[in-house]
Amino acid sequence: MQVNTGESFAIVGASGSGKTTLLGLLAGLDTPTRGSIRLDGHSLEQLDEEARADLRRRLVGFVFQSFHLLPALTAEQNVMLPLELEGNPAARERAREALAAVELSGRRKHYPAQLSGGEQQRVAIARAFVHRPRILFADEPTGNLDRRTGRHVCDLLFALNRDHGTTLVLVTHDLQLAERCVRRVELQEGKLEPLA
Amino acid sequence: MKILLLALRSLRREWHLPELRTLAASLVLAVVALGVVATLTARMEHGILASAAELIGGDLGVSAPQDLPEKFADAARERGLAMTHTAGFPSVAFAQQQSQLLEVLATDTAYPLRGTLLIGDAQGRQRVGHGPAGGTVLLDHRALVALHRQVGDSVQLGGRDLRIAGELVQQPDGGELVAMAPRALMNLDDAQQAGLLGVGSRARHSVLLAGNPSAVQSWRQWAQSTPLPPGGELITPEQTQERMRNAFDRAGAFLRLTALLSALLSGVAIALAAQRYARRKTSEVSLLRALGTSRARVLGLLLGTLGGLALPAAAIGVLLSLALAEAAWMFASQLFAGVPTELPTLPSLAAAGMGVAVLAGFALPPLVRLADVSPVAVFRASLARQIRRFDALYLIPAAVALALIWSLSDSVRLAGILAVSLSGVAVVAAGLAALLLWIARRITPGGHPALRLGMAALARRRGLSIVQATALSLGLTALLLLAIVAPALLDGWRQELPADTPNWFVLNLQDDQRADFSKSLAQIGADQLNMMPLAVGKFTAINGRPIDQIAFKDPRTKDWNDRQLRLSWSDSLPPSNTIIAGHWFAPHPAEAEVSVDTMWRDMYALKLGDTMRFDVGEGQLDAKVTSFRHVDWTSFRVNFFLLMDPLHANALPHTWIASFYLPRGHTEALAGLSRTYPNLSLVDVDALLDRVREIVQRVTGAVRWVLGFSLLAGALVLAAALATSGQERRHEAALLRTLGARRGLLRIAAACEFALLGLIAGITAALGAMIGGWWLGRSVFHIKDFMPHPWPLALAALLAAVVVMLLGLAGTRKVTHTPPMRLLRAE
Repeated sequence: MQVNTGESFAIVGASGSGKTTLLGLLAGLDTPTRGSIRLDGHSLEQLDEEARADLRRRLVGFVFQSFHLLPALTAEQNVMLPLELEGNPAARERAREALAAVELSGRRKHYPAQLSGGEQQRVAIARAFVHRPRILFADEPTGNLDRRTGRHVCDLLFALNRDHGTTLVLVTHDLQLAERCVRRVELQEGKLEPLA
Repeated sequence: MKILLLALRSLRREWHLPELRTLAASLVLAVVALGVVATLTARMEHGILASAAELIGGDLGVSAPQDLPEKFADAARERGLAMTHTAGFPSVAFAQQQSQLLEVLATDTAYPLRGTLLIGDAQGRQRVGHGPAGGTVLLDHRALVALHRQVGDSVQLGGRDLRIAGELVQQPDGGELVAMAPRALMNLDDAQQAGLLGVGSRARHSVLLAGNPSAVQSWRQWAQSTPLPPGGELITPEQTQERMRNAFDRAGAFLRLTALLSALLSGVAIALAAQRYARRKTSEVSLLRALGTSRARVLGLLLGTLGGLALPAAAIGVLLSLALAEAAWMFASQLFAGVPTELPTLPSLAAAGMGVAVLAGFALPPLVRLADVSPVAVFRASLARQIRRFDALYLIPAAVALALIWSLSDSVRLAGILAVSLSGVAVVAAGLAALLLWIARRITPGGHPALRLGMAALARRRGLSIVQATALSLGLTALLLLAIVAPALLDGWRQELPADTPNWFVLNLQDDQRADFSKSLAQIGADQLNMMPLAVGKFTAINGRPIDQIAFKDPRTKDWNDRQLRLSWSDSLPPSNTIIAGHWFAPHPAEAEVSVDTMWRDMYALKLGDTMRFDVGEGQLDAKVTSFRHVDWTSFRVNFFLLMDPLHANALPHTWIASFYLPRGHTEALAGLSRTYPNLSLVDVDALLDRVREIVQRVTGAVRWVLGFSLLAGALVLAAALATSGQERRHEAALLRTLGARRGLLRIAAACEFALLGLIAGITAALGAMIGGWWLGRSVFHIKDFMPHPWPLALAALLAAVVVMLLGLAGTRKVTHTPPMRLLRAE
């Protein structure tokens, strides 16, 4: 399986088929027991956890099904996190720009508990692209959202992919969402099958 | 019943939650800390009291100026207690041409029930014995010398001829430093038959008891509720000499303080864990409320869970505390050799009760508020997080803390100082934490990413950080308070009895013998020689009015009017004396002046400017009261109630009393000296000093043991308190790892965070402990010139920061070492 730069790539499959595991492996969150994964020319299984963390910081953005915003931080502070990890002195300005891009400028001082599901996911997307990652991994990004909000969130993801050339790898069981991707594969009993 | 079953089921399901485990562990720790301290304290107090009992010759007793009603002895017999009757009185003994006033104690043959009566024979051998048989008497060395008698000779006492069966070497004497009159021990029946105890005698009758502690306690309670005969009083181990009592009182207060602070520490940990548990349960409670469960039922469920947790935890605490107390006793009991002490279970059970009260007091407020969560919160979590600015429920832990302080401190002053110090520390810590967090948030943007992350983490969890800083400050204050007070207390005790404390007294030294005697003493290696003149007389009038015509309120005056009065004089104010009113003598006063001790001032209602009349020898002396003195009777020095100005007193007929220190092993040389000066009475107080030193050593040992346990309990509770925020960080660390944060960065960020937290706690605790320690040391433990040193405290503040940082890092180690994938899946 190969995902090319700037491509949008969907992995579909039934619940429990191993989609999230595969995503975790691709993002370097875990290492495969067998086989090999290369990310931007780096063999992930040959890197230790620290080196993989470095790689994630530089190259990768994440969007999760359950958002994973830190409840004690405001929307703006959540978005600032990846930049703070880099030691970027302009973290606040960049975070505000990112929130403006997802149309949440007015909610930047709000805590996750004060935001709706759609708003939380938009904050998560702002956090995912605020440090301009080369590749964005999204795990069921619309799984917790209603259809309209889900569509809006997807528009944002594909706009990023289109406007910034960010590679998009998303895991979903939503075939409509998968169809918006350039390439699609299905995970069935541990095997990847290309989808028409 | 149903709700209880439901609560227990819920507890079983939730047992894996760290907060519940922390809650249970804190309760176990609280019970163990309180239980071990209370059990050890009870045992050691028993040990200390038992050694004090050795000084009075029994566990307990009662005395009166006349024959004691038979009911006191009957009550003792009913309780199966051993008993001895004694009567003490002054009497003159005659032997051929010699006569001598003796301080006589008449006893039955059971005396003493506790302690040692040491008797010397004609060959100088010593044996442990009991009260003399009929027809015999024991005389101390001074009596033998004064009457020119030897063991085996006879003397006449109360008109009866008695054979001297031995030399009275040592007797349980209530810890009296040096008896001025020579002593004799005779048989009680002999004294009765000789009419020495009849009507008009000045004898003080006593019944002493000993036996099973519970029986003794039962007799004590009975006697306390029974009217005593006129002038009667209970003889208790606590009433032994002042210097012993001081050590007991201060040790008792310190041990209680230690237990109290341990309990409060646990309370802090429990409060933190309960808060966390309530937050975790919020969504579940809102769901239950949404599904139609009433508020009362939710509350019942929560309280049932807490109860289901508390009972087994308290039971485990009791068992552990008993086991630990027993193990600790195995090491500590050598301090109390020969003192039988059974393992008391009551203190551990009481500790369990207190632990449950602490759990209820500190855990209830967040749980009760949890039951108030609105059902709408099921849709919008923010509704569940509305925090009241002021919640009256949070007065409950404050009230429980105050009740604990009150019940355990046993002293209004100690309770007050602790309450004020700890509340002060809490307020300052919270304020300082809020201020530093505010500053940290504003100055860190330019710093190292790890520093910014750490500070940001603290600042973002502002509420929790302030609670944590306050809790840590309180915990550290408790530990530092103990660390400050304990060494000063132990040093104070040691300083009271330095190695070169005078251990010999000389009575009856004449003016013309002084120079030669001093020289001879120096030759045999004696040191610290101190001589005071001694005139013997009677106090007869105040402002010209005879004292037997004045009605004094204090019943002791009657006794003192009959006694011989000892007067002394000195150019300068003796050590361990302080003038509290008036002034010390001018060099050449126009009329005779006297300085009076506070006890005499109170007893005779004396005022500055009053004139006291004394009959000394053939003459009479009127002296004006020009000062009142506070005398430290706990010092091992010769002190006097009345001191005259030397100019006028020098003419009074007098001898000299001297004290000096002679290293052990020089008694042979001293015996030679005694032969050269046969008129002198040499009194060895080494035995008494040894006993006092031994008691001080026992008390010191007790304090060390209990302190060690409390520090350990405190440190464990502190660690538990820190761990409560571990869960909070787990999610954050996992996400940061996913976003690419290196382990090192997370560790440094956590280190910065915990170090700042520790520094806030350390600084506040050091300040609080310094002020509280100074206050406690001066007004509760009466440590002279006590001033805690600021540098060790500053060091302790830094050390606290390091320890908190290390403990915090140890807590986050697991998080930073777990693959982020697993962490995210576990969420």
